[in-house]
Amino acid sequence: MKSLDLAELTISEASAQIRRKKLSPVELITLFLERVKELNPILNAYVTPTAEQAHADAKAAEREIRRGKYRGPLHGIPFSIKDNLATKGVRTTAGSKILSEWVPDYDATVVERLKQAGAIILGKTNMHEWASGGTTINPYYGTTYNPWDLKRIPGGSSGGSAAAVAASLCLGSIGTDNAGSVRNPASFCGTVGLKATYGRVSRFGDVPGTGGFSTDHFGIFTKTVRDCALVLRALAGHDPRDPLSSEEKVPDYSRSVGKKVKGLKIGVLRGYIEENVSGEVKRTFEEAVRLLQSLGLKKEDVSIPHMDLIPAVQTATSRVENASSLVNHLRARPRDFSPALLYRHIQSLTIPATTYVTAQRVRRIICREFDEALERVHLILTPTTPIPAPTIEECQRGYLEVDGKRVALQGLSGSFGTTCTIPFNVTGLPAISVCCGFSSLGLPIGLQIVGGAFQEGMVFQVAHAYEQATKWYERKPQLPQA
Amino acid sequence: MEEIVRRLNAEYGFNLSEEEIKLIAQQAEEAHRLFRPLYEVDLTDVMPMMKVDRRKGKE
Repeated sequence: MKSLDLAELTISEASAQIRRKKLSPVELITLFLERVKELNPILNAYVTPTAEQAHADAKAAEREIRRGKYRGPLHGIPFSIKDNLATKGVRTTAGSKILSEWVPDYDATVVERLKQAGAIILGKTNMHEWASGGTTINPYYGTTYNPWDLKRIPGGSSGGSAAAVAASLCLGSIGTDNAGSVRNPASFCGTVGLKATYGRVSRFGDVPGTGGFSTDHFGIFTKTVRDCALVLRALAGHDPRDPLSSEEKVPDYSRSVGKKVKGLKIGVLRGYIEENVSGEVKRTFEEAVRLLQSLGLKKEDVSIPHMDLIPAVQTATSRVENASSLVNHLRARPRDFSPALLYRHIQSLTIPATTYVTAQRVRRIICREFDEALERVHLILTPTTPIPAPTIEECQRGYLEVDGKRVALQGLSGSFGTTCTIPFNVTGLPAISVCCGFSSLGLPIGLQIVGGAFQEGMVFQVAHAYEQATKWYERKPQLPQA
Repeated sequence: MEEIVRRLNAEYGFNLSEEEIKLIAQQAEEAHRLFRPLYEVDLTDVMPMMKVDRRKGKE
């Protein structure tokens, strides 16, 4: 297998070959590590590659498979892990200066489950400082670059993970999503990005202070929907170390992939999202909806009466919960946060308890309204992000032009990039981003498909049908040589 | 708001400059404006969205 083929490879294809002993995990991991060595200096997707351990793990996987102990579809498959998930014996910085030398003595549950499934971890990926932003322009570990255009951001906060999957520096990655931090970079980098139902995946091992207790989720990046279904099966399930993880049975999600979609009802979410989305993204989204209709899905519009209050609920909830995790660091090392982030945390300390509880009460109304909508339709659709990836320069400037209007990237109601994603952090509903086309500048655009609680199977079913009908995932970024 | 930020500055030892105090207070006031509409919702009989994490005891 030549290095070039790695760009085309998926988890499903690699695991089929590994299972039949036609592909050696050692050979596969060696090729990926060579690619990381070649391209990471250009992309800065990994902050801590773990090549030596990956080689050793690949050898162990190969020995096991030869002896007939095949663990399943992730055995021998290369993964990366966002740097706010604890990894035993491997530095875990959360993109921060404060944790720049922290080496945990335990694994996050998802890391443990990946290892049990036989996956090989190639390293830790770059992220926005403390996962508190959507650019992955990190003052301590550098900027991660979008593989589709090196002048642009990969999104964030899990930007390193998205860039790594898009550039085939691994076949899957695990990130976190407090306001869209998996779906936003998946959209900007043209990968699949899933945030499952709140509680579906244990959050044990998340670095405190990198997301709100009730809004943050772990998420998955892959190249295809089928791959994502395989990974979720391996990660999901109750974990006694996360008291908020669910005891719902974990189905075999792969069985939903390929099921017929005819007759299912999709709802297009109206409201403030429409007003914020650029004309180009709107047209691409509408084309995706028409394509789904041509596959036999029935469309109707969905409105949520208290939709406009979602940014306020998300901001009050996640900022207060996040600040409560950081008070010790804020007291001891305030100047080891970047100034903008320190100011934001101080603002969070000014939010009264009554505002937090009021936000939680409004949140219940919003959740009920979404549940009612999901009784009329099976799934809800939105664009994933209002625009394709902005340039690094635009992010540093703080604003950009959208259809001739100046738009602040960080406004009163939160980050512009999270407009479409935050409703599903507030409601905890499962949401996936799949590529639904490319802008006039050749940048990926994402379609967000949302299901009812614990309906990940149906989300995969429709996302896969769309993906197979369009094959956008087959288009790859043209990467320069190191 | 400036007074609240000053109090936090003293309590936490942030060592903020006057300019920083003014900037943070201004940003915090903007954020608080975002929260105002939350208080206009009729919340009669609406419980907060909180999962009370208790497990069934031994029978």
